[in-house]
Amino acid sequence: MYSMAKPILEAKELVKTYNDRNVVDGVSFSVSKGEIFGILGPNGAGKTTTLEMMETLRPIDGGTAVIDGINVADDPQKIKYIIGVQPQSPAFQDKTKLTEIIELFAAAYGEQARPMEFLRDVNLEEKASSYVENLSGGQKQRLSIATALVHKPKVFFLDEPTTGLDPQARRNLWELVQQVRDRGVTVIMTTHYMDEAELLCDRVAIMDNGKIIALDTPAQLIKNLLSKGFKKKEHVEQATLEDVFIDLTGKALRD
Amino acid sequence: MHSGLIIIAVIIVLLLARFGFKAVRRKQGKPELERVVSLPAGKLSPWRRKLLTVVVFSRLNTRRFFRDRLALFFGILFPLIFLAVFGAIFGKGTNNVSFSVGLINESHSRYAQQFVDQGESSGVLKVDKTVSDLSGAETKMARGQLDAAIVIPSSFGELKGKLPSGQIKVYYTENSAQAGQTLVSVIQAQFQSFNEKFVNIPTPFSVVGSQLTKKSLTEFDYTFSGLLGFSIVGLGIFGPINVFPELKKQGILRRLHTTPIRVWQYFVSTMISQAIIGLISLAIMFAVAISVFHLKVVGNYIEIAIFLIFSIIMILGIGLAIGGWAKNERQAAPLGNIIVFPMLFLSGTFFPRYAMPELLQKVTTYLPLTPVIDGARLLTTEGQHLTQIGPQLGLMAIWTVIIYIIAFRVFRWE
Repeated sequence: MYSMAKPILEAKELVKTYNDRNVVDGVSFSVSKGEIFGILGPNGAGKTTTLEMMETLRPIDGGTAVIDGINVADDPQKIKYIIGVQPQSPAFQDKTKLTEIIELFAAAYGEQARPMEFLRDVNLEEKASSYVENLSGGQKQRLSIATALVHKPKVFFLDEPTTGLDPQARRNLWELVQQVRDRGVTVIMTTHYMDEAELLCDRVAIMDNGKIIALDTPAQLIKNLLSKGFKKKEHVEQATLEDVFIDLTGKALRD
Repeated sequence: MHSGLIIIAVIIVLLLARFGFKAVRRKQGKPELERVVSLPAGKLSPWRRKLLTVVVFSRLNTRRFFRDRLALFFGILFPLIFLAVFGAIFGKGTNNVSFSVGLINESHSRYAQQFVDQGESSGVLKVDKTVSDLSGAETKMARGQLDAAIVIPSSFGELKGKLPSGQIKVYYTENSAQAGQTLVSVIQAQFQSFNEKFVNIPTPFSVVGSQLTKKSLTEFDYTFSGLLGFSIVGLGIFGPINVFPELKKQGILRRLHTTPIRVWQYFVSTMISQAIIGLISLAIMFAVAISVFHLKVVGNYIEIAIFLIFSIIMILGIGLAIGGWAKNERQAAPLGNIIVFPMLFLSGTFFPRYAMPELLQKVTTYLPLTPVIDGARLLTTEGQHLTQIGPQLGLMAIWTVIIYIIAFRVFRWE
């Protein structure tokens, strides 16, 4: 169904070379508007580098990336106005209040924002006047999402957004990402949690050694595997330990 | 006593800086949130949007400084400590000669007492009360704590015929020979006036000293402008070279780089906040120097402020270049030290450049910090105007251009 829409992002044969080694080696994919697209892969597969080339942070050594009709390599400044970026470990300058952080990022785009509205969206209203250094990991992730959306971007990049978060915070973040998508923002995220990818992503690309080795919807990828005669060794449990954990500790956010 | 006053002044200032701001904000009731009006993008012209970035960044930078105790310490208190130390050394002024002496008074005559009183009240003699005999004085002289020991023998002031007489002995060591000999002539002169009261002999040759009214610079005047330079270096160079590597390490600059903010916007906002912080810091130094160390400012304060802002911006460029180039603190710290410390010493921060060999003076004239310190002195204590310090301003302008070209070229977001 997604292939019907005109792609908002198109990567063609992307290459990034470090020390004569192609850490990203001819990566191609396209993402439709309103999609949540996942890039999976073990550490060092080239996920983050692929993301960073599209985020204008790394020069593109080969191939092209086009976002909303704009070539990333040709006009990075224009790209910056239409993308929002959530780095792997968000950090903010100390002694800054949450409201000020929002103001600051809005100002970076030459805009004035209503900080409270953005903080409400990510459940950080009560923390509005705290300093950022007093936030928990999950709260920092949420604040970071708010800062990435102040300028109403069309494409939102998240790099391993739930690494290091507790189950409650992860679930909350998944909801947030879905809300962002529901507002029409296209989401491209990396992760190495398969449950996360299966639950959130409309389509996933699996990368290894700088190459995409599979690209489809999670359901189709599973179907393909089963059709090859794959069988799980043990019977699938009706519940997982995580289900037990959530059942015992609840879904409410702890931070 | 001076240091006590300074500490009180510093505490007041810091309290004001920390809590004064808070009080003001509390008065405004619910802050920022409601004040910020949401303007749809595109309503502002592209240039006003770029300036908005600068304004917001510099405002928050400044605020952050006053919330950060460590930054306050290094930016404001640290230069004051130096001011206190150097002020205590040079602030007394160099006009008054005084000697620290041990006084062994074995005489009970009123003449002996009169001599001691006169010496002490004129400030010439600083008597160490802990010294009671010659051997004690010798020990202290050997340590360099005393200039000389004065022994008034018990026979001093006894009547010889109709007139009192006596001989004072001044002891000094090899190290304090100069001070000792000077002290001898000072006492000689004092006795001369004593003697004239007893026997009126006309003196054929005499000498009278007369002070010219033209104001001359004290050593403290030189020291103060040097300390202004030191403070500017502290804020402008040590600030960025400590902060930037940290911002890069945490990926904060990298995250900013994904937004459309340009390097010049980031630099200009840093300049503005540094200029504000610097002016406050330097104003406090002026206040302390004037009230505690009797600095006489004869220049125009507005001209001084303009000059200092220019200085802060130029020196900040060095910090931006080093901090902006360095990938981490291991690169920033050594490069910073190599550039900063020679400059501090060679530009006359801690001691006047006129004390240097001539060749060195010529070379160091062209260092970036030198025109800052010279200019500050010319404006502040010599009462010159901006129009009269063209050479300094010109040199600073050239350096500013060079420094900022380098800073823009080498800046890295990560």
